[in-house]
Amino acid sequence: MLKLNRRTLMTGVATAALATVLTGAPMRAIAEEPVRGGTLSVHMPQEQRTLNPALRASTGVYVIASKIMEPLMDLDEQGALVPMLATSWEGSEDGLTYTFKLREGVKWHDGTPFTSADVQFTAMELWKKYQNYGTALHANLVSVETPDDHTAVFTYSRPMPADLLFGAIPDLGYISPRHIYEGTDILANPANVAPIGTGPFKFDQYERGQYVIAVRNEDYWRAGFPYLDRIIWRFISDKAAAAAALESGQVHMSNYSSLSLADMDRLSKDDRFEVSARGNTRQPFQNTVEFNNRRENLKDVRVRRAIIHALDTDFFIENFLYGNGNRAQGPIPKASDKFFKEGRVDYEYDVDKANALLDEAGFERGGDGTRFELTMHVPPFGEDIPLWATFVQQSLDAVGIKVRILNVDAATYLKEVYGEWNFDLSTGWHIFRADPAISTMVWYRSGSPDGTAFTNQWGWTDPKADEMIDAAASELDTEKRRAMYPDIVDRLNTELPIWMAIDRSFMSTTSEKVRNHHNNPRWPSSHWADVWVVE
Amino acid sequence: MLILQLAVKRLMSSIPTLLILLVGLFLLLQLAPGDTVDALIAQLGGGSAETAEELRRYYGLDGSTMARLLDYLWRLVRLDLGFSAIYDKPVATVIFERLPVTLLLMVLSLSFAFIMGMLLGIISARKVNGWLDTILSLLGMVFYATPAFWLGLMSIVIFSIRLGWLPPGGYYDILAGNTGLAHVWDVTRHMLQPTVTLALIYMAIYLRIMRASMLEVSTLDFVRTARAKGLSRNQIIRHHILRNALLPMITIMGLQAGAILGGSVVIESVFSLPGIGKLAYESVIQRDLNMLLGIVFVSALMVIVVNFVVDLIYAYLDPRITSEKV
Amino acid sequence: MNVLRYFARSPAAMFGLVLLGCIIGFALFADVLYPKNPLGLAGRPLQWPDLTSRFLLGTDASGRDIAAQLVHGARTTLIMAGVSTVIAIAIGIVIGAIAGFYGGWVDNLLMRITEAFQTLPNFILLLVLVVVVGSTMTSVTLAIGVVSWPPVARLTRAEFLSLRSREFVQACRAIGLRNRWIIFREILPNALPPIIVYGSVVMALAILLESSLAFLELSDPNVASWGNLIGHGRKVLRSEWYVAAIPGGAILLTILAVNLVGQGLNDALNPRLRNR
Repeated sequence: MLKLNRRTLMTGVATAALATVLTGAPMRAIAEEPVRGGTLSVHMPQEQRTLNPALRASTGVYVIASKIMEPLMDLDEQGALVPMLATSWEGSEDGLTYTFKLREGVKWHDGTPFTSADVQFTAMELWKKYQNYGTALHANLVSVETPDDHTAVFTYSRPMPADLLFGAIPDLGYISPRHIYEGTDILANPANVAPIGTGPFKFDQYERGQYVIAVRNEDYWRAGFPYLDRIIWRFISDKAAAAAALESGQVHMSNYSSLSLADMDRLSKDDRFEVSARGNTRQPFQNTVEFNNRRENLKDVRVRRAIIHALDTDFFIENFLYGNGNRAQGPIPKASDKFFKEGRVDYEYDVDKANALLDEAGFERGGDGTRFELTMHVPPFGEDIPLWATFVQQSLDAVGIKVRILNVDAATYLKEVYGEWNFDLSTGWHIFRADPAISTMVWYRSGSPDGTAFTNQWGWTDPKADEMIDAAASELDTEKRRAMYPDIVDRLNTELPIWMAIDRSFMSTTSEKVRNHHNNPRWPSSHWADVWVVE
Repeated sequence: MLILQLAVKRLMSSIPTLLILLVGLFLLLQLAPGDTVDALIAQLGGGSAETAEELRRYYGLDGSTMARLLDYLWRLVRLDLGFSAIYDKPVATVIFERLPVTLLLMVLSLSFAFIMGMLLGIISARKVNGWLDTILSLLGMVFYATPAFWLGLMSIVIFSIRLGWLPPGGYYDILAGNTGLAHVWDVTRHMLQPTVTLALIYMAIYLRIMRASMLEVSTLDFVRTARAKGLSRNQIIRHHILRNALLPMITIMGLQAGAILGGSVVIESVFSLPGIGKLAYESVIQRDLNMLLGIVFVSALMVIVVNFVVDLIYAYLDPRITSEKV
Repeated sequence: MNVLRYFARSPAAMFGLVLLGCIIGFALFADVLYPKNPLGLAGRPLQWPDLTSRFLLGTDASGRDIAAQLVHGARTTLIMAGVSTVIAIAIGIVIGAIAGFYGGWVDNLLMRITEAFQTLPNFILLLVLVVVVGSTMTSVTLAIGVVSWPPVARLTRAEFLSLRSREFVQACRAIGLRNRWIIFREILPNALPPIIVYGSVVMALAILLESSLAFLELSDPNVASWGNLIGHGRKVLRSEWYVAAIPGGAILLTILAVNLVGQGLNDALNPRLRNR
């Protein structure tokens, strides 16, 4: 697996302005002269309900819409912030106001000029009101002032760490056109499925169940870009069929691990394709083991620890994931070099210890060797999830815990695990979004409303952890703040309400015909203005 | 005009059936855990409680079951199938976009299965219990016993990947921008694999029925009479046996219309065809109740129409029935 | 006896019977052949079949012995298919018999319900049922039974319609036998042969339906079943095709056996064919 050592993100007015996204020196030799024109064909595994990332922040939306719409800032190949719609950004000492200078001469795809009014409207009406994670991030956003057409000043009622806000913007900072949305029912606006943006490609058509097409924006603010004439995203839900489409040349690439593990392994040995985690480091995810801490047996931390001790995670990674992954050390993945620290509280594979802990907790083996039975809810998010669940089932069998797997669809999973707490064990993905305060600490912090998906609904509260999490979320000093998280991780790993077992990275499979690809840490979700295709 | 009257009558008499179906399914799906908002939140990788509440209001999921059922039926009376949660479009629009693919798949594979089954059935019956009969029957049964998705996947491996003759999926080549004959040819190439896969599986039934009917009919009096009159074997087959043997085959075709719609769920998923079957599966998984009910409504109508056509063909083929009806 | 003799004269039917016997044998002796939990971790995942190794038929993507799953899966599949067939036939017979025997509004109502079930593609109904009741083997079996009865009901009704005006039924009525007695003791035994033959079709369809559910990952993952194995195999189809091919072959052979036996019975029971 490829590991990128990213330099730390820069805050405040960035020297990053010097770096430009477009120098994005690709890893392969750059002797080739880019060819203009051509069509890039991309695999999409799932139909999208909306294509507006200012409303819905998810990889499925980005992979299409980030070519059409743009965020205030993006990342360069080292992971440093670079200007997009904002040319400079600056926060006040007290963390209450943030000023963004906006790019001049940018036009929406319908010809209307882009101004600070669009930023103001998007932040107040879309991010704050509807965007998943945006509603939490901007909960304390009071107003956005627009002193002139190219300046937007955000005011928060409570201090907002610059690191957190700027770190979130490449994903959560997409801008929608005010003149299209104002005075309409925002969720029902037709532009949600036919997006209008400022990006290098213009939305052309969305044929449900078949494809989305975007075509070159001739008036793009970066002169000379994009290279491609067209991008087409084809919906292929069957993984085997998608691999076949890649091999027959029908599509050029497949992002976000949308092929089967076996096919990715097979294609990685095929010269016609590059299969790697390159350009995906910004969006690491983890395989989880989630406990319902309300259950009589799982309530006991010794039982939870015993369960983790019984899992030979390294064996699983090596043999089931084709070596793609690392044993995790808590909820902050290794890929997050800002917040990760080596050598935290861990639970090594040790069946004897697991058995001893279970005995000690008073759950002796019965006549047939069984201590107790548990159910495990398994959602269909990825192929690795049922594999991992099966492995947990097999491993726990060895320490006398019988697990009954319940394969459920996404709606059932959310309802039964998060809504009704009607589960014993469950597993799924924890997706890390740049900063632990965005979507990670909510897995542990108490007080999320009942039923909120991917938050602490485990029947576990720890005032000490809550206090530590809150302190880190409002710490304005970047260095101090970063140093606080490893201690939080230790606390969470010791108390063990849930366990983040494996650090993973999304994998992309790309045809060798594609150039300038995967040259920034969130590449599948970035603009693709500099991509070109060799015929 | 008579046909039109019959059609209207038939449709009216199907209304209770449709009503049982839609109300039953509506209530059944209320028992399913989670709703379309849960499915959406999962797709997004999470969202706050406010977001979820806002979305439930937006999708009209905040009323009581009874109120929503009555609302749905009232809309149905006005021929309004409602709005789809997944597609942000009227259900009717989405269904009519997808319908041609499934119809084409159904018509092509049924015709193919029917014709091949008929021909092979005749051959089988003429050589009854001979080695050719045994091989054909066995082959038919082997295909019949093969899971459709397995046959489809294997076909892709061989014809699209190893040999590279046919596209592995999709309805037509979007990038080519073909029109006219070129487009027809393109669609044909894309539909060949799914059609043949489905046809091979359904062929066995026609083969078996054709063979059985041929054997059965050939012992009847009128065939003996014809033989006595000195008609040639082929003439007898064409004019007498075939006409009668077709009746049960047509009946099966009517019955299979529904089954094929179900089978298309799997086939459309294997070949990435944007049809009704795949849509139905997605609607169940995503809890898009309006869409699912819409599909059931439309496919029920289709089954009713097919059966009506079957009756017409019946009347045409069997003069006794015609004389009764007229 | 005549029927059995005719059945035994057909090589295809006998072949089917022997095949079915073998499969039932595997199912019966699964615990003897592979006493360990077939879903347990047996070794490194995705080992190729090798007759000289510990794993005759290799291991699947979860490191489970395919041979063990195949043998235990035979049991699951046969029980699942058998029970759902019995359910479908039981519902079908009761509804068909009542409709055919009583006629009138009862017939009308029951046939409307049957029609409603038939108008809806059965796989779609199955999907909905499984989503509602969950994916345990019991609920999958029940659900398959519940979606498979309408043709049985129609067949039974047709038989009853033709039998109820026969002399022996008239005679029963004349001597004042109760309706329930006439339905189940007098008419049903006469109507049963074609229904039993149709049972083979229901059973074959049940196996296919379960494998399609497993293909869509909606079947029970806690039991060894051929469908689940195909579901796992689907993901490694291109490189380790044997994972799906082996259970696929098992399904094919089982359905083939069931059909051959069914057709043999059908031919044997059909008097016109016998005279040829």
